[in-house]
Order: sequence, then C-alpha cells, then structure tokens
Amino acid sequence: VTQTLSELTASTGRLALVGLAKNTGKTEALAALLRELEAQGRRVGVTSVGRDGEERDVIDSRIEKPRVLLPAGSFVATTDGLLRASTIPHELLEDTGVRTPLGRVMLARLEGAGAIEVAGPSAAENVRAVSDAMLAHGAEQVLIDGAIDRRAASSPDVADGLIVSTGAVLDHDIDEVVQQTRDAVELVRLASVDKDAAAGPRLRELARAGESLLVGEDLEPIALPPRFLLTADPERVAQLLDGNPGGRWLIVAGALPERFLRGLLHPVHKRRRELVLVVADPTKVFLWKRGPEWFERQGVVLRTFSRIALEAITVNPVAPQSHRFDSAELRGRLAEAIPDVPIFDVLSSDYPGAHRPSRKSETPGPGQVAGIAPAPGAPLTPR
Amino acid sequence: MREVDLSAVRPYADHLGDGLVQMSFTLPVPYSLAARRAAMELAARMGFEEPEVVHYEQLTEGYTYFVMYGRCVQTVDFAALQGEGFDIEYMGEDEIEHFAQTHIGRPIVVVGASTGSDTHSVGIDAMLNLKGYHGHHGLEGYRCFETHNLGSQVPNSVLVARAIDVGADAILVSQTVTQQNLHVHNLTELVEIVEAEGRRGQMILACGGPRVSNELAKELGYDAGFSKGTEPHHLATFIVRELAARAESTRSDASAQVAASPQSTAA
Repeated sequence: VTQTLSELTASTGRLALVGLAKNTGKTEALAALLRELEAQGRRVGVTSVGRDGEERDVIDSRIEKPRVLLPAGSFVATTDGLLRASTIPHELLEDTGVRTPLGRVMLARLEGAGAIEVAGPSAAENVRAVSDAMLAHGAEQVLIDGAIDRRAASSPDVADGLIVSTGAVLDHDIDEVVQQTRDAVELVRLASVDKDAAAGPRLRELARAGESLLVGEDLEPIALPPRFLLTADPERVAQLLDGNPGGRWLIVAGALPERFLRGLLHPVHKRRRELVLVVADPTKVFLWKRGPEWFERQGVVLRTFSRIALEAITVNPVAPQSHRFDSAELRGRLAEAIPDVPIFDVLSSDYPGAHRPSRKSETPGPGQVAGIAPAPGAPLTPR
Repeated sequence: MREVDLSAVRPYADHLGDGLVQMSFTLPVPYSLAARRAAMELAARMGFEEPEVVHYEQLTEGYTYFVMYGRCVQTVDFAALQGEGFDIEYMGEDEIEHFAQTHIGRPIVVVGASTGSDTHSVGIDAMLNLKGYHGHHGLEGYRCFETHNLGSQVPNSVLVARAIDVGADAILVSQTVTQQNLHVHNLTELVEIVEAEGRRGQMILACGGPRVSNELAKELGYDAGFSKGTEPHHLATFIVRELAARAESTRSDASAQVAASPQSTAA
C-alpha cells in the first residue's frame, strides 16, 4: 500500500525536514505536507530554522521559491515583521524573546488563511522550545523546516522524526547524487551503540560525564584533553592510539569532524583493530566526502547513543538553472541504494498525496528563469 | 510639503512620487542609433515608463555605454519592512565603550577568521585589527574588546575549539559566498559544530562577506550578517547590544524561575 507523507508521519509530533543542499525541494515537501494536513483537518504548527515562503532564492534571485500556504487555525513561529507583512489576521500568543537577523520571533495563531514567510528560531534549543509551545497551545503536529543543509534541528533532542530531501542539485551525475544521498542517509540512520556491544549501558553511563573518553575492553575510561577531537592533527591522534593499545571505544562529547576521523585511519589500520566512536546523535558527525560505511570498512566504526527516526526521503529531479533527471529513474536508483525508506517526488503525477498542478514538462520547472514578471493580480503560476 | 506614504514608496528626483530613476549600463552592440533604440526597448521591458537616453557613447569597438532616465511605477511597502531587525542605530566608539562598561562590565572576547578554503582575510582584518577601515579603527582598538584574529583558511573545528578555549562571546567569520554549495556548506558547518558542542546559546555568531545579507545570515543560522559598507563600529554596536539583550533575558528567565518555583518560596 502506497502511503503519503502525512500518513507516514501522522504519529510524529515534531517532524523535521532537512535538505542535503539548497534547492533539494524541502519547501515543496513542506507545502505537500501542509496540503495533506489541511485536507485532513489537522491543526499544524510551522517553524523554520531559516526562512521559508520567500519569493526568490536568497543567493540566486533567478530561482523562484514555493510559497507556504497555511489554513486558518494554524500556529506559526515567525518574526513580527513577517507576520505583519503577511496581512493574515492573527492572534499573538507569545513573544518568544528570540532575536534573529530578521527580527524577533513571535508565536501566533492565524485567524485566516494565506501565504506567509516563516522565519522561526535558528538555535536547536529554541526550536525545541517553540515547537513544544505550539503543541501546548493545541497544535496536533509541528513541522520544523530546515535551511540549506543544516541538520541540528533533526537531532532527537529537538525532533521526533525526519524527512530528508535530496535532488539533482547535488551533482550532474545521477550516480553521484545517489551515492551522496546514500552516504547522508547512512549517517542519519547510524546504528545504535547497543547494536553489537553489550557494553552499551556502561558506555551510556560514562558519557554522562560530558567529556570525550577513550574506553578500553576493561571499560575503564581515559579522559582526552579538552577539544582534542576538534583540534588534534594526525600525529597526536596516532600518539593517543599507540599509547593506549587497549582502546576499544571512543565516546565523543561534542562534534566529530571528518578531520579527526581521517587522522584515525592510519593508526587504526596499523594496530589491526577497529575503534568504535560513539556520538550523542548523528547530527554531531561532520562528513564531507565519505559515508559511515566507508569508514567502517577501514576499521573506524561510528555508533550513536540516540537514533533519528527517518520517515521518508523526497527528491527534486530538477537542478535549477542547470540540469534535470527523470523523476522515476532517480527514485528507482535511490530505492536500489537505500532500501526500506519510502521515496517520493511530491510534484510527480504518481505521488499519492494531494496535488498542486504538476510540473510543466517542457520548462525547467522549479526555479525556472523568471521571464517577464506577471502583471500585478495575475494568477500565480505553480512554482 | 507632501507627506510620504510609507506603505507605497517609490524613487523620486524632482518631486515626491515621480518615480524617476537614473541608470547606466553597457550593451555589447556597436555605437549607433540602433543601439540607442535597443536601450530604450530594454528599459521599457524593465517596466520603466517614459524611458529616455540622456547620454550614450562608444565604450570600445562593438560596445555602447548608456545613461538613462525612466519612470518607475512600482511601489514598495516600507511600513511592513520596518522592524525587521536591520534598522539598527549605530553607536559611536565612545558610546560603545560606555555601553559595554555599563551593561557588560568585563572584556568582550571576539574570535574572527576566514574559514575553510577562503584565503581572503581582508574583511576580518578591517573589522578586528587596530588599523580598521574607513577611518574607524577595528575592535582591537576598543578597551571593551579582547580580539583574536586567527587569519585565513582556518578549519571550522579549529576555530570553534579556539573560541571555546578563550571563552569567546562572539565568533566572526568572513566568507565570499557564491552560488557554489561549497561556500554555503562551510558557513553552515560552523554553526552546526557550535551546536554540536552545545555552545550555541553562549556565542554570538556573525558572518560577513560581499554577498551576505540578513536574509542569508538567517538561513545560514547566524545571528547577524554584515555586507559591503560595514564599518567596525557597526559590528561592535551589534555585539554589545546583543550581549546585553542576552544577559537581560537570562536574568529575567532566572527571576521567572525563582518566582515559579515552589521550593524557593518554601525555603
């Protein structure tokens, strides 16, 4: 049975949407969800770690962006200025006190329907707070839209589930798009520390200290110098491992940058024994070129204390101002590489959820070059 | 004198609301009457009424330079845009020193760098170094700031580690943002590393660069964006005001908690 995005995520109270890059169709996924939830009569709350519903892309003004249309009764976290600019009648519920470059974030209940630019808090802690506030005011589900490629709001500390958006914009080569998406999804779905280690409970207990620790087979921890994972060059990493040959696990207290992982490759290979790094959750890991499975094959294993619930992947087969792939082919290739996660193109005619007029096949679709601007009052074209 | 209607403003030259715009551009066509006609047609397509070529000349062979007037009929709602956060009144250096002493009362630590592959440190130098920019000296020259300029091509993780080690109140990064995802990714990664280190609430993050607007800063996850034309006291004003506002909201949160806590009344 094919389900829609809203059906798949119906029980997710705080749902995060994260894109792998700009223009991967994240806001289209949000718009599709909003259409479906409106049809079901569900009261939603919406916030964005960036800015949503703006008319044009902030970096490339040739790219038109989808509007965010909210029905009456919706909750929204956005700035005072954007609330006023929307001209939608609303009831102000709270001044969150959160300041952003676009103004102060307010919490409002809309008393009419309309298009609104959404710019909520950026910091993960504040995102969680406004999401909870909207739920407390009566929202049945809160949608947290990401920005660019930011992932912090998808942490289990903030959201209960995640939709990942990917698309042609990642590369000209479809194989490369599939590979990069697969790497990103591997990271999102990082296995739990409990998967293959009876030591899980003890490691969790040690992690509460809030510092990075190297832990031996005997489960005795050695504290690493402050900021070691952020700053250590390969030489210092090698010294650490050579000096502690019994080290089996490395508990990561904060961020895990790829630089550090690369520094581990040689010493781990030399000692012929794998090292398991355990992070608080996948948003703490920063990879550029390789996915977790590649590192695992080199003996550098990544595990997490908290897992992210990945509900679905959406694809945008169009790279604005550049190239496009066949939607069905891209989805097929992704499904082969990433089995067991539902994959959608919400603008494709075969998408089972509520539709907006489908993509025009002969024009470049999303982010089409704006030709002569429509006269004021002319109907908005899709996209 | 006519009152300005801030909900519908348009350019003006001779009298309010006339919409007159002067523009200049170059077309890759030979200097000729046809070139002049092309410029007129182009201006009309841009939506200008009564376009007029007031000057045109050959720039080099095959290129013609134009100066034109045209009447803009569109308006913008300025009233709706006010209060979006970018209409800060900047303080002068003495005011900033005084404000910092009154509201913060300790050295304000600022760490700056051009991150990732960006080799341009001129923006950071202008903001931080004593020499400064445009006759305003940089943050280093203020008594209230302690600055650390890490230079260019600093990896994000190293920058964040240094910021934590020196107890930074603010991180300032500069990056030339282009349409390449790489530059954008580098800026978002810094924010995410600060989040992962659990320090986002304690650090002000500001980014600067030729194309950095407040809108872009918001998407990137920064507290402010500074573009061309920014002078050091603009940045300094933002930092001291934001720090004071944060201290204020922490204080009011703390007092609210005390008021709400039954233990505190029982004790």
